[in-house]
Amino acid sequence: MSDTAGNGAVLVVGGGISGLTAALEAAEVGNDVFLIEKNAYFGGRVAQLNQYFPKLCPPTCGLEINFKRIKDNRRIRTYTLTTVKSISGGPGNFEVQLETAPRYVNSNCTACGDCAQVCGDEIDDAFNFGMGTTKAVYLPHEMAFPRRYVLAKEACSAATLDAIKAACKYNAVDLDMQPQTFTLKVSAIVWSTGWNPYDPTKITNLQYSSSNAIITNMMMERLAADNGPTKGKILRPGDGKEPASFAFVQCAGSRDENHLQHCSYICCMATFKQISYIRAQYPDAKIYVFYIDLRTPGKYENFREKFMADPNTTFIKGKVADIAAERDGGVTVTAEDAINGTKIHQKVDLCILATGMEPALGEQGKALGVTMDGNGFVVSDAAKGMFSAGCAKAAVDVYTSGQSSTAAALKAIQIGR
Amino acid sequence: MSMNVQPDLEFIKAMKAAGGDTLKQCYQCATCSVACPLSSDSKPFPRKEMILAQWGLKDKLITDPNVFLCHHCGDCTELCPRGARPGDVLGAIRAYAYRSLGWPKGLAELCSSAKNLPVLIGIPAVVIFVMWLISGGMHIPSGEQFAKAGYTQFFGHWDFRLLAKNVLFIDIIMLTAVGIAVTSVYKGVSALWQGMSASIGQNDVPYRPSVPQFVKQFLWPAILEILEHKRFRECTVNADRVKGHRPLVFAFIGLFIVTCYSLFTQDVIGIWIPSMHGPISMWNPIKLLANVSAVAMIVGVGILWMNRSKMEAAGKAANTFYDWFLIWIIMGVGVTGLGAEILRLVGIASLGYIVYYLHLISVVMLFLYMPYTKFAHIVYRTFAMAFERYRDSSYIKNPLNG
Repeated sequence: MSDTAGNGAVLVVGGGISGLTAALEAAEVGNDVFLIEKNAYFGGRVAQLNQYFPKLCPPTCGLEINFKRIKDNRRIRTYTLTTVKSISGGPGNFEVQLETAPRYVNSNCTACGDCAQVCGDEIDDAFNFGMGTTKAVYLPHEMAFPRRYVLAKEACSAATLDAIKAACKYNAVDLDMQPQTFTLKVSAIVWSTGWNPYDPTKITNLQYSSSNAIITNMMMERLAADNGPTKGKILRPGDGKEPASFAFVQCAGSRDENHLQHCSYICCMATFKQISYIRAQYPDAKIYVFYIDLRTPGKYENFREKFMADPNTTFIKGKVADIAAERDGGVTVTAEDAINGTKIHQKVDLCILATGMEPALGEQGKALGVTMDGNGFVVSDAAKGMFSAGCAKAAVDVYTSGQSSTAAALKAIQIGR
Repeated sequence: MSMNVQPDLEFIKAMKAAGGDTLKQCYQCATCSVACPLSSDSKPFPRKEMILAQWGLKDKLITDPNVFLCHHCGDCTELCPRGARPGDVLGAIRAYAYRSLGWPKGLAELCSSAKNLPVLIGIPAVVIFVMWLISGGMHIPSGEQFAKAGYTQFFGHWDFRLLAKNVLFIDIIMLTAVGIAVTSVYKGVSALWQGMSASIGQNDVPYRPSVPQFVKQFLWPAILEILEHKRFRECTVNADRVKGHRPLVFAFIGLFIVTCYSLFTQDVIGIWIPSMHGPISMWNPIKLLANVSAVAMIVGVGILWMNRSKMEAAGKAANTFYDWFLIWIIMGVGVTGLGAEILRLVGIASLGYIVYYLHLISVVMLFLYMPYTKFAHIVYRTFAMAFERYRDSSYIKNPLNG
């Protein structure tokens, strides 16, 4: 296989659960596939979860098998730290310009970790949403694939860089690495660019920046994850307090004309899932869920019933519209209980904003000629030879992402025929 | 089984006309009730009012104190995730309530639409014109006479000492207008109070405050709070309104004092001291108050005018007849009043008389239409604020009244 693979090659943009699925489905029926990923690792948002639906598996279950399938399949070529710069041509004969950012660590790396041992500079831990820091030369996370270190060169002093280079027994550190542009010829493009958690600082009335006690639901996943900043113990960021009370703020930025207009679909279930995390660690903690409507589609309804029966979990029909930081490190959330028509000021130790899914492709997608709907989701367009999968297509769960990724692969392989 | 649903088109149309057409967007998230700086913990609004309006329960809304406690600052509209504009909807409900509480019904209906503007201006214009004709005073005075008498002989002059001809005609016109307005407001406030009491299940309490007790404990504190503009200041999005509303409130108080003084000196003291008739000296403190008030009125309503135009241009407020009619009338009263005075001072009698005629028209409009236009808030909101105190007082909380 070469960069100029002939008819039938598929470019999959984005290497999360959807991109992995689409790439494998297309490759396993005999098409050449190029899978590119903006991050230094594959696995996307699923890799950051503690558990995921439908069966509440840890992400290793599901991602590992896909990584193995990719390693075993010679029709897939993978690129990390790579983004699309421009697209020309059309269905059947796209020419795509791509750029790979320098990792400063080459394929000699064995992930032995000697470089990190000597590294004196630290950066914010992006994988853990800034909760804690990591060495400036780092493995993005424990199960990162490809299993290779990344160097944040701009964050390092000259002395650190020298020390890192000297520490590597395999001559894997290459400080002169440059951004590389290259061109691929493909028949079809699958956009599986996924989503970003909506920026909570934009929801000004929820005062995200005012207190460490206000976190997002994705931060909660990291707090509950064994490979997270607290080794799986749910503690309040900042002071490490064991929270005795929790508030979930549903629709934080979703279903809102001022923010994301769409329903992000997963947040209600994510909250129920996170209640299960809390219950496992704090059986008696008070939990308050503030919602407009609870959307628990299909068989997830049983899951909802189980937690709504919990006597220490209170569900309040009313959106939180104000949060105030308290002296003791907690916060007070305010909402109107629409059932009995009174306002509630509930003080809690930890407040979780159920922030929604913002399509990650954004404006850049429009510049590349991708058809997008009013909310920024990619619209599959067979006439353009471009298809969308997973959360690039709509705000959905992992299960539905798998379905739409297979569908996108099926459509994409028909373009080159 | 079939169900015969009769949608209340009249209510829906009224909501739309008064800027509440976004009502149906509401999905009851209750963000508005938290965003509202005036909504209380035990009786929050406007979420509940939004669904009552969606369901067409207008009877409940007309006597809902929360509808009148809202100061339309727009903080709720700013945060509303659906663009349902609760602030505008409550404004529209108020417009509907003034109409429904108003008496006589025909006049109340007339005041609800810009289509009726020619009639609304026509009624006082024709009445005053006919009175002017009847009075026989309809001729332009000489410069000397104009300088001496000003407009005090607009409706002519006779030698009957006890009641000046001009005063008689002015009183016939103005007292009729005020009489209708006072009757209407009395009926409206009574209905409102009964409805508000019923809404808390307390319209038949054994112990009620006497009138002096009511004024002292509930009405007067509410009035003081209004003068302080305390609630206006709670608003964050649209804080500029205080700058316009406060001078306007004090202008009205100032002009009320001036009117009372003038009535007393000219019509009562004037009986014994004829020199009291005629324009008040420019150096009289009362005249000074009148002039300051007139300027404050024009400046105040001008600020509100610009404020509203700006908000409409930015898409933050709907352009409705309900909101503009009051601004136009007050601007009309201020400009014609001050204009007539200036024309008197410079001695242009012909133009002065015409502007004075327009002034009389606008003042009649202000009084006569008060109960049915946005101006009605001065009575209904005051009583709603008094009720808010009353419902938390021992008269209601007293177990004997339970």
